[in-house]
Amino acid sequence: MLGEDDDVFDSVTWESPSAPTYDAGPSAPTGPGFRQSTAESEPGHGPHDPKWEGYLITSVKDPVKELADTKDAYVSYLVSAKTNLPIFSTPNPSARRRFQDFVFLRNHLSKDFPACVVPPLPDKHRLEYVTGDRFSPEFMERRRADLHRFLQRLSRHPTLQRSTLLRAFFESTEWHVTMHQHVAHPPGPEHTTGVIDSISDTLLNAFSRVRKPDERFLAMREGVDKFEEGIVLTERLWSRIRNRTNDGTLEPGEDLTGDYHDMAVAVQGLGFLESGITDPLNHFSNTLLEFSALLRHTTQTTTDPFLIHLHSLLQYSHANRAVLKLRDQKQMDFEELSDYLSGVTSERDRSYLKDRVDALRGADDDRSRVEKMRKLDAKIKELQDAVQTAHETSDAFSDETLREQTVFQYAKEAEMKEMLGNLADGQMEFYKAAMDEWDRIIPIIQRIRVDV
Amino acid sequence: MDPYETENPFEEDTDRVQSEASSAYRVNLSAPSSPPSQSSRIPSSPSLGSASRPAFPSSGSHRQPQAYKSDFCCTRDQWLHSGEEVEIVITDALKTSVNSSSTYITYVIKSGTAEAQHRYSEFESLRTSLARLYPTLIIPPIPSKQTIGDYAVKQAKAKEDAAMIARRKRMLQTFLNRIARHPILSNEHVFHRFLDGEVSWTEVLHSPPLSLLPTNILKAPSHNPTDQNASPGYTALPNPSATHALRRPDQRFLDSEVFTNKFAAHLSGPMEKVTRRTMKRWSDSSHDHAELGAALNGFSLNESGQLSSAIEKTGQAVDATYMSTTLLLQELEQNWAEPLHEYTQFATIIKKLLVYRHQKHVQYEMTQENLEAKREQLEELEKSEHAARRLEEALGRGRTSADSPRTEDGTPSSGDNSRADTGYLPPHPGPNPVRRRAPGMGFLSALSYTLHGMMDVDPATARRNAISKAREQISLLEDALHLSAQDLKYSSSTIQADLDRFQRQKVADIREMAISMAKSHRDWCKKNLEAWEEAKREVEKIPDHPNRMLEEIVEDSGGVANGSRESTSTIDGH
Repeated sequence: MLGEDDDVFDSVTWESPSAPTYDAGPSAPTGPGFRQSTAESEPGHGPHDPKWEGYLITSVKDPVKELADTKDAYVSYLVSAKTNLPIFSTPNPSARRRFQDFVFLRNHLSKDFPACVVPPLPDKHRLEYVTGDRFSPEFMERRRADLHRFLQRLSRHPTLQRSTLLRAFFESTEWHVTMHQHVAHPPGPEHTTGVIDSISDTLLNAFSRVRKPDERFLAMREGVDKFEEGIVLTERLWSRIRNRTNDGTLEPGEDLTGDYHDMAVAVQGLGFLESGITDPLNHFSNTLLEFSALLRHTTQTTTDPFLIHLHSLLQYSHANRAVLKLRDQKQMDFEELSDYLSGVTSERDRSYLKDRVDALRGADDDRSRVEKMRKLDAKIKELQDAVQTAHETSDAFSDETLREQTVFQYAKEAEMKEMLGNLADGQMEFYKAAMDEWDRIIPIIQRIRVDV
Repeated sequence: MDPYETENPFEEDTDRVQSEASSAYRVNLSAPSSPPSQSSRIPSSPSLGSASRPAFPSSGSHRQPQAYKSDFCCTRDQWLHSGEEVEIVITDALKTSVNSSSTYITYVIKSGTAEAQHRYSEFESLRTSLARLYPTLIIPPIPSKQTIGDYAVKQAKAKEDAAMIARRKRMLQTFLNRIARHPILSNEHVFHRFLDGEVSWTEVLHSPPLSLLPTNILKAPSHNPTDQNASPGYTALPNPSATHALRRPDQRFLDSEVFTNKFAAHLSGPMEKVTRRTMKRWSDSSHDHAELGAALNGFSLNESGQLSSAIEKTGQAVDATYMSTTLLLQELEQNWAEPLHEYTQFATIIKKLLVYRHQKHVQYEMTQENLEAKREQLEELEKSEHAARRLEEALGRGRTSADSPRTEDGTPSSGDNSRADTGYLPPHPGPNPVRRRAPGMGFLSALSYTLHGMMDVDPATARRNAISKAREQISLLEDALHLSAQDLKYSSSTIQADLDRFQRQKVADIREMAISMAKSHRDWCKKNLEAWEEAKREVEKIPDHPNRMLEEIVEDSGGVANGSRESTSTIDGH
């Protein structure tokens, strides 16, 4: 889809020369973590509206097999970008990366930005439409397209597009060093929520539900469900049509491609029998054959890419759903902690009441009582802090999620546009070509002389 | 007798055969082979709007108007030969139970001003009658009793019936129009009465000529099986089986047989099978599209804004594919699968026709053999009669030496022959032909054995009886041989002429089939293309992603883009 940018990268070597001034340290200025950038909302913008600081147009090209004759052979891809984001030190960064680097990038981005929908990488094993090993041209092209889409999704994300890791991915000449440093000094606030973690682990289980569901997120969740439902159904039905049209084998099989092929052979046979009209029938047979070839061609160039994209979008949506789930988790953290706090508080209140009664009765166990109260108070204090933090986290996460949903909506619309547009283009191309083919044969047949 | 041995030159005899063909309806035997007077390119005009597409038979197979015909036998005849393109239309199929205990379907046939109703079995009867009336013509087929493959999806029984009735309607109409355009069959008054519908079909069946049809048309004249004044020689013709081998087969018809077999095998094999398979696949595919269209429509309801309408339009494009594929399927069935099946039936009909000619040929050969055998027999008899007479004479001379020689008056006309060849010279050089048992000759052989038996009783009388009997038979067989030769010639030339006509009709129909198939596919493409173009326009309206280069933004929004736009933090769509 970035075809129009191709020539821009011609002069760029894969080791970007303009990178030396780059400070690869973890002290990069962008505020890390899910809180990043929420505060910077401008007037006229809602608090949950995302904003893009600039553009970042990425591409993945030119897969090359490296160390070809060793057992460590791998494929490298040229990743390049065109950008006006201030964080980049050059408007045209580029580098060569291998699949593992993409994996690193994705894993660390999703760790660093838990509230962001980090797009998934292509499933290593989902290659049903491709034949051959992982160095076959089909495989490399298929993977290149997948990686291209992955980077495109990252670059369309207003937060992720400005992450230091992504910048390094495009710019760094010493990517291994960068990776190392990133692992050693992960950006973001130290996880001070130790209490939450320790308490949460004991309190929460995977099956608990949010008690006070937020209407906004319920609607969102429902929207995601229905979207995925639509995608899954479309994928299933379209695959069925695909298999009826062309089952993917090169041999004419049990599909329309095979049917028209066989019909072409039958018509040719009729031409042999009807010596007077052998020639026009041969032409007609060729048209049938051509139609069969067009059906196969459109399956390969339109239907299959469409199905691949559809599936990829489904996985992207899964990532989005995971973020929504995580938000629920944060809210549950808060709710559970609040419960725990109120439990402890009421226990203290009961103890206090009991103390008073005891005191009135004259019974006195002062030292242990005071000690107990002190412990309870301390715990309450600690819990209050934790609840406060959990509350803030939950709220912030909710805000971030709302914004993230808008971001995802943008990404989704853009991808649907591309996907449906390509589909329509492919269909139009097929029907046009087929129409021409049938149109061409009509006068040839009409020329058959009939004497009756 | 020799001229009958030559099997080729039919032309010299055609006129004579024609003149002997006394029936009024056999006016133009030579017409089929005569070149067309009318351009074949005139498109058929589907007159009454019941069929949206021009039905078969194709325009190419239209009979040229027979303007010279003036002695019309009835108004239907006049209408059929009015010189204009006429089309018989089956306008309706009605459920009725008239004259029957159960309900049945009658087809309403409109030919010009006349309207008739006939049920399927009456069409079948008409076809059988015509086939017997014209044993040398290719009578077009009617749809077979069982449905020809269920291309359409499994539907309820009633709907299947409806599809079957519609198919029969189409194919029966084709049948009638093929007869109407046949140069000879169109003149048949039985056909006219079928179209007129003024009398019941049963009545037609029980009146001449159909009531006069002999039980065995092989023993009736080929040109007119109902001829009441047919020579008694026909009774002497044998009734050979279809598999009886010929001694001197005609290469042309051998070729025809081989070709017909190949044609039948190819049509009912690859052609029909692959067609059925393709249509099944299209049918499945169209249903998938219907489902997918509905799914996309549901999908669009859950989305909002421009994305929703884009998905909706995509769903509509898929729906359009469903509709166009359904139409494609219908057209494929009517204009490809059905004619294909019709031609498979034609091949079977032609095979039968060739069998008839074959049997006629066998009849001729067997009659010839019989005649030769009889002549030999007669000769033997005459020889022994001659020898007996000489013996008698010698005895007489010995007894009454002065007696004047007896005249031959008493002996029937063997005189010349027996006088001429005094020696034992066989009349036919070469070895005797191998005698084959012919079914029809059983009686004669038995008779001759009886004669032999009688000879013992009274040799002289028996011999004389045998001689006169043999002469009678020879005369009958000579007659039969003559008739058989005529029939064979007539059959061969008529069948050949109708095969030629059929071949032209076939080419015209194949042409029509291929054109309509191409057009159906082209229209299918066109409709789908339009639907997808519309979908594409709607997809284009989905706003682009904010992550774009500034230049693009400027380009996209044209002059509207203002300078302050460089902070891309202002985003469309808010």
